[in-house]
Amino acid sequence: MSVVPAIDEASLPLQRPTVGDGLAAEEALLESICQGESEFGLLAWSPTDRALVMPRRHERLEGFPAARRALRERGWPILFRSTGGTPVPQSPAVVNVALALRCRVGSSAAHLEWGYRRLGDPWCDWLASLGVQDADLGSAPGAYCDGRFNVRIKGRKLVGTAQRWRRVRGCRDMAMLVHGAMQVGETPETLVELVNAFQAAIDDPQRFLAASHVALIQALPDLDLEAALPALLERLEVAS
Amino acid sequence: MTTEITVPEDLWEGDSEAVITAWLVDDGAEVAQGDLVAEVMVEKAQYEIEAPVSGKLSIAKAEDEVVTKGTTIARLEA
Repeated sequence: MSVVPAIDEASLPLQRPTVGDGLAAEEALLESICQGESEFGLLAWSPTDRALVMPRRHERLEGFPAARRALRERGWPILFRSTGGTPVPQSPAVVNVALALRCRVGSSAAHLEWGYRRLGDPWCDWLASLGVQDADLGSAPGAYCDGRFNVRIKGRKLVGTAQRWRRVRGCRDMAMLVHGAMQVGETPETLVELVNAFQAAIDDPQRFLAASHVALIQALPDLDLEAALPALLERLEVAS
Repeated sequence: MTTEITVPEDLWEGDSEAVITAWLVDDGAEVAQGDLVAEVMVEKAQYEIEAPVSGKLSIAKAEDEVVTKGTTIARLEA
């Protein structure tokens, strides 16, 4: 599985791999920190295809094989990711940003809340710079893969966040990967319906609400995302 | 000599519960210091846990069991 983009695309802020290659690129980013090759890494990507992505532990669910077949027939294969949480759709309507850092054990930076704020606070600042004044971090009850550190607009989930922590080779330091998945296009109904189809297929009664989500296009319908994205990445770099 | 493998005390604030998402070695296996043995998830974060010393692993908490800070999840007999 290759994650090396064509040369001309390498300098673009937003890479466009398949979902599988994007997830592999995030893993490589974390591993470069673990190997001591770097202390900071940043990757922005939006997939060219689509998949429902979840932690591997979901594979143990009794109804998983049937659910996997049902979603594949709908054109949504299931892939696994290394960060925590629950199923999340990936499609060209989603922009992902992954940030990898080396954290010194014993410092204030070596815990989960710091990691989420390290990604989420600059994200909220970026939204404010675009005119969205009510973005914050918090939970969005009714949203799929909800957590305490979503980037929200008026309480609705725009960006889902998750992390993975791994020891740096040969020392006590930790490598942290914190990932944000922002729905930029389509309507929340489309993606929520897909996650609810998975819930039904595994016979889980929990259902999610489109009203708990928001897409960037709904908040900023005239935004040129390709032009605006570099400013987000700069904010994430500067905060280092 | 027995060494306990515990959930880190300082990984997160508050008293959120975590869950053992995977054991990467079998109960009773011999592991080397630094080997990756388990994954714990809390607050949508996957945390990899390594063997602090070499020894024979005895699992105390199974996959999908809920754990908290400081919980002993396994022991290593050197």
